[in-house]
Amino acid sequence: MFDGLIAFGHSIWSFCDPLSLGLILLSSLVGVIIGALPGLTATMGVALMTTLTIKMPSNQALLVLICTYVGAIYGGSRSAILLNIPGTPASAASCLDGHQLAKQGLAGRAMGIATSGSVLGTLIGMFFLALFTPILGNLALKFGAFEFFWLALFGVIIAGTLTGNDPLKGWIAGLVGIFSATIGQEGIYAYDRFSFGSRDLAGGFQLVPALVGAFGFAELLMAVREKAVPVKINPFDSVIPKLKDVTQYWRTIVRSGLIGTFIGILPGVGEDVAAWSSYAAAKRASKEPEKFGKGSIDGLMAAETGDNACVPGAIIPVLTLGIPGSAPAAVLMAAMLIHGVRPGPMIMVEAPTFVYDVVAMMLFATIGILIYGLTLTNVLIKVLMVPKPVILPIIFVLCVVGSYAISQRLFDVYVMLGFGVLGYVLRRLQYPVAPLVLGMVLGDLMEKGFRRGLVLSDGSLEPFFTRPISAVLWITIVLVVAVKLPGVRNPFKRRRAA
Amino acid sequence: MANEIHPSSPRRDLQGGIVWVLFGSLVVVLSWQMDRMTSQGATAHTAPGLWPGLVGLVLALLGGVLVLRSWRRAQRIGWDAAVPDDTDYAPTSSFALATALFFVYALLLVGRGLPFWLGTTIFVSAFVFLFQHVRRRAEDAVARGAIVALACGGLTALAVTLVFEQLFYVRLP
Repeated sequence: MFDGLIAFGHSIWSFCDPLSLGLILLSSLVGVIIGALPGLTATMGVALMTTLTIKMPSNQALLVLICTYVGAIYGGSRSAILLNIPGTPASAASCLDGHQLAKQGLAGRAMGIATSGSVLGTLIGMFFLALFTPILGNLALKFGAFEFFWLALFGVIIAGTLTGNDPLKGWIAGLVGIFSATIGQEGIYAYDRFSFGSRDLAGGFQLVPALVGAFGFAELLMAVREKAVPVKINPFDSVIPKLKDVTQYWRTIVRSGLIGTFIGILPGVGEDVAAWSSYAAAKRASKEPEKFGKGSIDGLMAAETGDNACVPGAIIPVLTLGIPGSAPAAVLMAAMLIHGVRPGPMIMVEAPTFVYDVVAMMLFATIGILIYGLTLTNVLIKVLMVPKPVILPIIFVLCVVGSYAISQRLFDVYVMLGFGVLGYVLRRLQYPVAPLVLGMVLGDLMEKGFRRGLVLSDGSLEPFFTRPISAVLWITIVLVVAVKLPGVRNPFKRRRAA
Repeated sequence: MANEIHPSSPRRDLQGGIVWVLFGSLVVVLSWQMDRMTSQGATAHTAPGLWPGLVGLVLALLGGVLVLRSWRRAQRIGWDAAVPDDTDYAPTSSFALATALFFVYALLLVGRGLPFWLGTTIFVSAFVFLFQHVRRRAEDAVARGAIVALACGGLTALAVTLVFEQLFYVRLP
C-alpha cells in the first residue's frame, strides 16, 4: 500500500519538469481540439500523436498520448453541447441533454457539468487503475497459452456483441480483423501467408496505419458523404462548474464512474458504450426520468462521467493482460510496444513502477482537461467555425503523414487507404469497426495461444476446456454467443414466454 | 414486425452474407494449399495454414448464418424493408470528387518525387477551392476564394513540415 503511494509520488515528481509540464498542456490542448472536431476521433488523435512522438523518450511519449486520449474524450462534449454533433462517438450520449440545455441558454452550465463529470470520472477510473492493476497483474501471471487464447477470443466476441446493433455483424467484423492479422510471416516457421510474393505483405499490416485508415480515413469519407450544415452556436453562460451540480448528483457520478471503469476493463468495448450504459443506468435510477433527453443535468453528468472513467479502465487490461479495453487503448498499446514497454502479465515483475507512472500521467491529463475546460471555450468555438472543406483535406494530410512516418514506407499509406475504404464500406453496411480493430490487435495473441497450447498438449484440445480459468472463459463465450445468435435466442424467449 | 426492420435491408444482408461465405471459403482453400512444413518436423497442429483455415471456416459459417437470417427476415418483411435513412447527403458527384482527390494525393502527389510541401499545397488548395467554389461564385468572389485556398494549402504544408520534420524529427514522404 505505502510502497504504491511512494511509487506514485515518485512518478508525479518525475513529470514536474518544465518540458513535461509543457507537453502536458500542449497534448491536452491537441486532444481537446481533436475531440471537439467532428470527424476526428480519439483513436485517430492518439495514432497521429504516436507518429509525432516516435523519437521521444518513452515516458514523455506515453505522457503525450495519454493526455491526448483523455483530452479527446473530453473535447467531444463541446461540439455535442454546442452543435448537437458528437465530436467523438463517446459523446453521442451527451448530445441528448447537453444540446437541449444549450438551446435553453444553459450551454455554459452544460459545459461546466461536462467538465466536472469528465474530471471526476477520470479520477474514479484512475483510482481503480491504481488499485486493480497490481491485483490483476498478479492474477494474470497464472495465465498460460490456453487462457490467453480464450481471453483474446472473449475480447473479440464481447466487442462484436456490444459495439454495434447486430452481434452477428460484429463477430464477422472481428473475424475479418483476426484474418488480417494472419497476413505475413507466421511465428513458428516464418512461412509467408497470403503475401502472394509481395515483400511488403510478408511483413504484415502495421497497427497504426490500419487504425488511421479504419478510424480516420473512413470517418473522412463518411463526413464527405454528409451534407455540410451551417454552424450555429447558441449564446452561453458561465462555463465554471457549479459545486451544487456535483454535490446534488454525487450518486450519479459514483455510479457512472464505476460503470465506465468496468466497461473500460471489458476488452474492446470502449467509451461510447460506457457513456450510453451510464446514461441508461442514470435514467433508470432517476426520480425524474421524463426529463432525460430534454435537458437533464443528471443525464449529461452520467454520460460525461461514464465515458471519461472508461479511459483509465481501458488501460487496466492493456497493462495487465496486453489486451486493449478500447480502440484508442489499442493504439496506446501499440505505442508502448514501439517505445520498448511490454504491456502484459510480466509488467508487474519487469517494471512495477510503470503502472504508477501511467496513473500519474492520467492525473496530469485530468488537470489538463480541467484547465482547458475552464478557459478554452471561445477558442474552441472558433475552431468549430472553420468550414468542413478546409478541415477535411488537412485531416487527410495528417492521415497520410501519420501512416508513413512510423516506418517510412509508402506501403503503409496504401494500407491506410485500404483499411479506410474497408471501414467505410463496413460502416455503410452497419458493421461495427471496433471489433475489426480488436481482431487485428488480438489475432496474433489468439493464434500464438492456440498453436502454443496445441504444442504443449501434443495436439489435444482437452486442456483448452478443462483448465479452470479456461473453462470459465469458454463457458462465458458460449453463453454470450448462444444468447445473441439468431435462432438460439428465440427458443429462450419462447420458453420464457410459455 | 416493426422491430424486425433494421437500418440494413435483408437484400443487403444477403449480399454481404454471400460475400463472407465466398471470402471465408477462399481463405480455407488458400490455407489448405499452404506448405505443411513437414520437412521441418511440423505436425498437423503446427502447420502454418491451420489457424487461418479455421478463421476462414468460421467466417464462412457466420456468413452462412447471415444469409439464412436475411432469407428468414425477407419472408416476413420483404427484401427491401429497412429503417428509412434521413441523413442529409451531399451530391454523389461531391463524394466522388473528394474521394478522387484523396486518392490522387496519397497515390501520386506524395512519395513520387514531388516535394512534400508542393504536393500538399496542390492537394489542400485544390480541395478547398473546388469545394468552396459554388459558394464563392454565388458571392462573386472566385478570385478571393482562390487566394484563400492557396493560403490554406501553403500554410498546411508549412505547418506540417515544421512540426513533423523540424520539431519532432519525423521524416515526411
